[in-house]
Amino acid sequence: MVKWLGVAGVLLSPLVLADPVLINGGTFEPPVLLDKERLSIEMDSFMLDATPVTNQEFLEFVIEQPQWQRDNIAALFHDGNYLKHWDDNTGFAKGKENEPVTYVSWFAAREYCSAQGGRLPGLNEWEYASVKYRQQQNISDDDYARNLFAWYSQPHSAKQQTVDPNADQLMHMHDRVNEWVDDYQLLLTNGDDVDLLSGSCGDGARFMSSFSNANYATFFRYQSRSDYAPQSATSTMGFRCAYDLENDHE
Amino acid sequence: MNKLLKLTALASLIFAAQSFAQDHSHHDMHKNQTANDHSNHTAMNAAEVSHSESVYQLNATWNTHKNSELKLSELEGQPVILSMIYGSCTTACPVLVHDVKRLYSKLHEDTKQQVKLVMVSFDTDRDTPEALADYVKQYKLNNDNWLFLNGSEQDIRTLATVLGVRYRQRPDGDFDHSNLITILDKQGLIVERIEGLSQPMEEPAEIVNKLAKQ
Repeated sequence: MVKWLGVAGVLLSPLVLADPVLINGGTFEPPVLLDKERLSIEMDSFMLDATPVTNQEFLEFVIEQPQWQRDNIAALFHDGNYLKHWDDNTGFAKGKENEPVTYVSWFAAREYCSAQGGRLPGLNEWEYASVKYRQQQNISDDDYARNLFAWYSQPHSAKQQTVDPNADQLMHMHDRVNEWVDDYQLLLTNGDDVDLLSGSCGDGARFMSSFSNANYATFFRYQSRSDYAPQSATSTMGFRCAYDLENDHE
Repeated sequence: MNKLLKLTALASLIFAAQSFAQDHSHHDMHKNQTANDHSNHTAMNAAEVSHSESVYQLNATWNTHKNSELKLSELEGQPVILSMIYGSCTTACPVLVHDVKRLYSKLHEDTKQQVKLVMVSFDTDRDTPEALADYVKQYKLNNDNWLFLNGSEQDIRTLATVLGVRYRQRPDGDFDHSNLITILDKQGLIVERIEGLSQPMEEPAEIVNKLAKQ
């Protein structure tokens, strides 16, 4: 049994954390409309982690804040599966340092981001960044749809791939983990007045009328978010943090 | 239909507005929806919650309308009636406050001595302790039972999530939100949830009376 000792590891291999990347503000056309009259939203600029948060990064957080360790977390904040893939409170198997952390609840993810001086991205921020990412990486609509559906068909193999913690551009928006957003509960929650795809009677939200494979893949992600409770800690759900720009005063 | 007779004039107005506002929809399936003639404010259905974990595990510090600090866990030992509103809200929120008042008025006298009526604002920026104090004054809620709380955006979202209250800020600065009154027992467990406006309060009052005796 090779166990990876968290504290020693931190001392031996200090992380050089990459800076979050700037997401320039602009116009965002959300694929799901919360306001019928508002087809596009003006987004402010913000910073976003280049990659999902890794096991190593999350480990440093729980060492700093022991109340978020597996044995200590308040029962209100998870479903019993929190960090269940780790060996113990402050250790996981060697080689998993740079894999996206999973089995984290929405509560824990928010607390991590808050400790970094950030927050979880809003739903619109995350989706806006996703659009930017597709443009930056030159990912065609078809490739995007194919990748996303490939991920959804085999999410467990994807999450075992590492990320580069020193990435200097937005990475892995669609091919590692599903990611928490701060206001995920706004959409498509059980029994809500949002009618998925039927469009017959939804009062709050509607899908854009233009359907393509890419749109459909995006809808799929929106819908998958509604399967989670804030306590959910699952093998496919990770997160990355967003940050307000420093001089972003009102 | 006796229930309807018990509605206040204000609640009836809202109720009427709700019926009229349905004309933008072909169906009439959606409950708990309020709208008025100049906006599409939508009541969001509440989410499911845990009934086995105390809300008092939350560690946030709130500011009260009396300008003092409070952790919800300090309310331990008495039943609590809790709702989330915002002060500049002129549609559903006064009705929610009134609903809590109605529930309170149906309680036994000794229960009334114990119970706390806690209204938490969605609006961290506008509902300062001073603004909440004005609200309390305006609605004549100035006794020791009522507590109006202002907190950080992060803490508001956390509490709302634990209570199953869904909300979002609209571009105009107002909020869409679930209309929900939550009853906590003396340990902070969610015992009862009253969703929707102007609901009957007889049963909830009995629940609170029982909790007070436990």
